[in-house]
Order: sequence, then C-alpha cells, then structure tokens
Amino acid sequence: MTSPSASSRKALSKIATNRLQKELMEWQVNPPAGFKHKVTDNLQRWVIEVNGAPGTLYSNETFQLQVDFPEHYPMEAPQVIFIPPAPLHPHIYSNGHICLDILYDSWSPAMTVSSVCISILSMLSSSSTKQRPNDDERYVKNCRNGRSPKETRWWFHDDKV
Amino acid sequence: MDSEDDMHDANDAESLDDDFYSGETAMDSDDGDAADYEFIDNDSDDSDDLLSRRSQQNYTILNEADIHLRQEDDIMKISSILSISHVAAAILLRHYNWSVSKVNDEWFADEEKVRRVVGLLEEPRALPNVKELTCGICFEVYPCDSMSSAACGHPFCVTCWKGYISTSINDGPGCLTLRCPDPSCGAAVGQDMIVSMVSHDDAEKYQRYFLRSFVEDNRKTKWCPAPGCDYAVDFIVGGGTFDVTCGCSYSFCWNCTEEAHRPVDCDTVSKWIMKNSAESENMNWILANSKPCPKCKRPIEKNQGCMHITCTPPCKFEFCWLCLGAWSDHGERTGGFYACNRYEAAKQEGVYDDTEKRREMAKNSLERYTHYYERWATNQSSRQKALADLQQMQSTHLEKLSDKQCQPESQLKFITEAWLQIVECRRVLKWTYAYGYYLPEREHAKRQFFEYLQGEAESGLERLHQCAEKELQTHLNVESPSKDFNEFRMKLAGLTSVTRNYFENLVRALENGLSDVDGHGGSSRTGGTRTLGAGSSKSRSSRSKGAARSSSGSRATDDSGQHWSCEYCTFANAKSATVCQMCQQRR
Repeated sequence: MTSPSASSRKALSKIATNRLQKELMEWQVNPPAGFKHKVTDNLQRWVIEVNGAPGTLYSNETFQLQVDFPEHYPMEAPQVIFIPPAPLHPHIYSNGHICLDILYDSWSPAMTVSSVCISILSMLSSSSTKQRPNDDERYVKNCRNGRSPKETRWWFHDDKV
Repeated sequence: MDSEDDMHDANDAESLDDDFYSGETAMDSDDGDAADYEFIDNDSDDSDDLLSRRSQQNYTILNEADIHLRQEDDIMKISSILSISHVAAAILLRHYNWSVSKVNDEWFADEEKVRRVVGLLEEPRALPNVKELTCGICFEVYPCDSMSSAACGHPFCVTCWKGYISTSINDGPGCLTLRCPDPSCGAAVGQDMIVSMVSHDDAEKYQRYFLRSFVEDNRKTKWCPAPGCDYAVDFIVGGGTFDVTCGCSYSFCWNCTEEAHRPVDCDTVSKWIMKNSAESENMNWILANSKPCPKCKRPIEKNQGCMHITCTPPCKFEFCWLCLGAWSDHGERTGGFYACNRYEAAKQEGVYDDTEKRREMAKNSLERYTHYYERWATNQSSRQKALADLQQMQSTHLEKLSDKQCQPESQLKFITEAWLQIVECRRVLKWTYAYGYYLPEREHAKRQFFEYLQGEAESGLERLHQCAEKELQTHLNVESPSKDFNEFRMKLAGLTSVTRNYFENLVRALENGLSDVDGHGGSSRTGGTRTLGAGSSKSRSSRSKGAARSSSGSRATDDSGQHWSCEYCTFANAKSATVCQMCQQRR
C-alpha cells in the first residue's frame, strides 16, 4: 500500500463490476444535485466534480473528488479523497483526506457513491469555519509516500460539522 | 518443642518459636503406626485440595467447556426472565458485558430504550409480500425466496448477506455487534442467522469471538496469561488476595496479570518491572561510569590505564580523563600520565563539585539497585531450576523412589508438596527484594526488621531445599528400602509445613507494611512502653517470627514510665535521653 491507487490496484471482482455499472447507470439517470461525474473509461476510479452548495461557505467553489474502488466493493469501502486543492474544512486535510466515519468504520455495503457524495456535501454545508484540522501538518507529513486514508486509524471526534 | 508451646502468647496461635527450623517436624508428637496412617491419609488428598488450601478459593478455573456452560447458563437465565429468544438474550448480554444483573436493571428500567440501543425489534417484520425484490447491496432483482433479512425486513440477497457477514467476521470481534446493512437501520443480526449463512471456518471463528467475549468483556473473568494456556479464571472480587494459581500451574495476580507477586503490591511490581526494563538504568550506568568525549560527545568508559585517553576513530581526540582538556596541554608539568594538577586545582576551586556529586550519586543509586536486582534475579532463576527439578521429580524420580523404597507413589506426595513449596517460596523471596528496594532508607527499624525476616526466610528455605534435594538423593541411591525413610518423610513434611507457615506469616507481615514496627512506635505515644528491639535479639526474634500480628493488649501493661520508646526504631531509651541511642533520631 504505497501509492494512492494501491487499494484499486487489484482488478474489480465480478460482483463489484456489476454493482458499479448499475450505480453508474443510476447516476446518469438521476445524479445527486451539485455533483458531476467526469466521464472516463475507468470504472475503478471515478472523478467527481463537487459544487459548493449555494448559501454555504463553499458556494461558487468547485472541488474534485477521487473515488477508488477495491476489489471487493461494496463489501469494502471505496477510498474517497479530494484532489488538492481540497476545501478548507475542519475535517478535511490539505492532502485531500477526509475524516468521515462512513468512509471507514461505518461503511455499509448498502451505501453508494451517490449517498457518500451527499454525505460529503452535507459535511461541507454544515461547516461554520473555513480552517484545516488542528493536526493537519503532522498528519499530512505522516501520509507522505502516498499512504491511503483507509490505513489511518480515524478517531471521529465530533459530528457537529 | 511441646514445653515451649505454653509460652506462646495466646494470640499468637500460629506463631513459630525459635526452634522451628531445628529439623523437628510438626508431626513429632505423633508416633507409632496409627499416627503414620493418619499422616498418609492427610497427605493423599489430591492436589486440588492443596490448591484450595493455599488460595482460599475466591476464584474458579474454567476450561473451555466450563466457559461455554456458564455462557449458555446466563443466556438461558436472561432468556427466561425477560421472555425473549435465546438469540436476543445473547445480544443483550454481550452488549452489557455479560452482566446478568445489568441486563435486568436496564431492561426493566426502560425496555424500549434498551431495545433501540441494541437493535432488538419488538415485532419482527417479514419481507415485503411481493414476487420479486431488489437486493439493497448488488441492486439485482431476485425472486422473494432467495432473499433474506434481519428482523427489520430489509431485503438483501443471500450472496450479499454471505459477503457482508464473512467480511465482518474477518474484520474481527466487531462481528458480534453486527447490524442490518441498511445505513438507516440498526436492527441486530442474530447469531442464528450469522452461523447459518457462512462457511464452516467463518462460523467457527465467530463462535470463538463469541466465547472470548464472554471472558474478555466480563469484569469477573480473565484469561490465564501463561503462553499457550486456554484456561480462564473467574474471580470473586473482595475476598482475600489477588493471587491466582491457574490449572496450568502458573500463578499470577488477577488484578494486574503479572506473575504472582505477594507480598509486593501491583504498583510496586509495575514500578519494578519498568525499572528493570527501563533505559533509565542504562543511562544511570553510563552517567556513573563514563564521561563523554569532549569533542565528539560519545560516552567513554575508562576501565583501566592512565589518564591519557584517545577517543576511538574517527574522532581520535586525545584528552585528559580527569580535566577533559586536550592532551596537548598536558605533560610532565601537569603531573604526568596518572594525575592532573589542572584538575586538582580546579576541583579545589569547586569547578567539578556539581558534576562529580551527580556522578557519585548516580553511582550509589545504581549500586543499590544492582544489589537488589541481582538477588531478585537469582531467586527467579532458582525458582526456574526448582520448577525443572519438580518436573523431573514427577516424571522419573518418584517412580524410581517408589521402586527402591517399596512405597506406592500415592504415599510419596509429600515430596511433590515439598517441591511445590520450594517453588512458591522462591517466588515470595524474589519479590521481597523488590520490596526491600522500595523500603525507605530512613525507616531504619523497619529495614532492620525486614532484613532480619528476610534472612530467616532464606535460611529456612535453604534447609528445606537441602532436605528435598540432598537427603532425597541418599534414599534414591540405595539397594534396599532404607530404614529411616519414614523419618525422612516426617522431616521433609515437617519442614514443608513449617516453611509454609513462616512464609505465609512473612507475606502477611510485609503486606501490612511491617505495621508491627509502626504499631510499637504508635503505642509509645499513648504512654505504653515496649522493650521490643531493646538490643536483646533473643526476645526480639522469639516474637518477630510471629510477624505482623497486632500488638496484644497485655503489652501495654509494662508501662513503668521509666523509658521512652523511639518512634522510628522502637528502642526503649532512658527517660533522660533526648536522642535515641539506637538510631539517633530526636525524641
């Protein structure tokens, strides 16, 4: 696990491929508001454009999410990060890693890319300050060599923001 | 011995008199065949009994089957009290760390809340009554009968359920609190569903976690920490000591799970273990015995030779060990190779005082520590040796002895018991060195008393060890049964029981913080004058064997007002003295 794409290095299983195709089809018919899937031919890595919701600290800002799927998706969680520059947010590190429980411990196979996107947007929208996490510098330093956020032992301190 | 019995203080029923180590045995008033039989009878009780006598049995050793039974029992209990299913009862108990009473309390206080927290629905919902359903994970459409759900009715296909459950099992014990995959639903997934869905291996893994949870999440039980041991210990907190001897024969402290360490308390043990492993001791050594090279700062130990030091390559700096100045400034005029008058002069001016003092102190404290550590470690290895001897005894010697002496092996249990006692005593003795290390220097009286007790313990144990090792050999290497074998039996059994008593008293005395010494000091304040420790070793030793029993009422009667007893060492000083003649403490 040394590169950001490590978790997606193994090819998708049959189940994962089927499920992702269905998710993509559903997305095309019914995309979550504020998100745009950038079309590629790579089913295993999605790049999604996020528009900050109007009336929030991030309105008129655009960010890019990178979603990598593991071999046994959806039994295993996808790896979701912002491609820097990441939004200034108390739970988002400058290297794009996101501290959000559903991406790690609380992942459930009944969740989808779409539901994860909605959670991330709501996390952005409810923020009241634009700042980095307190331990940003330390954390990002530890993540050099492209460590995946899924290897981090996250500690979800508050769910207010 | 009999005649001296009368002289015992009535309160000191268990106390040992001066002759206890004389080699006479507790059985010597019994003679003749009848007594012999009785002796054998007592001794042929099996080792369980031995165990219980030593531990007062405030704990139970559980093997896997026992654990299983208890777990089942508790689940059945809850299931019948709350009239809920077996599976639901298991979920509840696990959530409340297997405390039956906690489950009861919480349930009857607010059933609805409990149900919500653990994910138990009152009314299970069936799958929607339609022909086909979409699986919430793979989004494929399946006929109703190949779908499954927890009590909540959220449908997922069997393949996805299997993947979901087995992923969770392979992620660790979190599988014990598995919930419905639907993110908005907290319904618990029961054991029955889990076990029926996964492979044999995964089911076994799950059952393993389930069993482990009963031991590990339960406040009353712990696994035996010995490597490879599968027993658990159920402990009743409150009564007696924390020492536990597992079925695998490993003794450990239930509280801190370090090896058994009476009479030392858990804090001291952890301090001592930290100290033994800590780099700080190495640092102390380096500080005390080395100086840093003035140029490259690497520590250098000087173990011999002159004061002209050349640091190792690549540094190669040449300097004077005493003043740490460059050697180029030295020579005949500074005193030659074995002295340095620059250093002497600077020392006179007080330049080196501070660092020297620190170095000196570090050296002293290190020497003190080394003294205790060496003895602690020696007893540790003696104990290991004794354990090995015990095993050899049990595996080969007992059989041989039984052969040579024409005694059934069942009548040779006294030998095993003696060796078990030796092993136990080595353990206690070992920890007394940690105890001694932490006994404050200024408590002279306590230290003296402690060292006396420790010395007695050591020589008593030596006697027992000698008898169990050397004298046994003579009976092992004979052609025909030795006539004095019965004598040997009585001697060894007697020594065993005497040593056991002595060590039990020792442990109790140390656990009480040698409060006898304090006690006397205390009584002096209320006017009672004691003569214990007044220089008469005879009178002191006859009492001190009884160790930490609280002072009896009769002791206050010799209050003559002629003496005052030192608060520190209890020495009875003449009324006129203002400073204790024994320890120089002021009155």
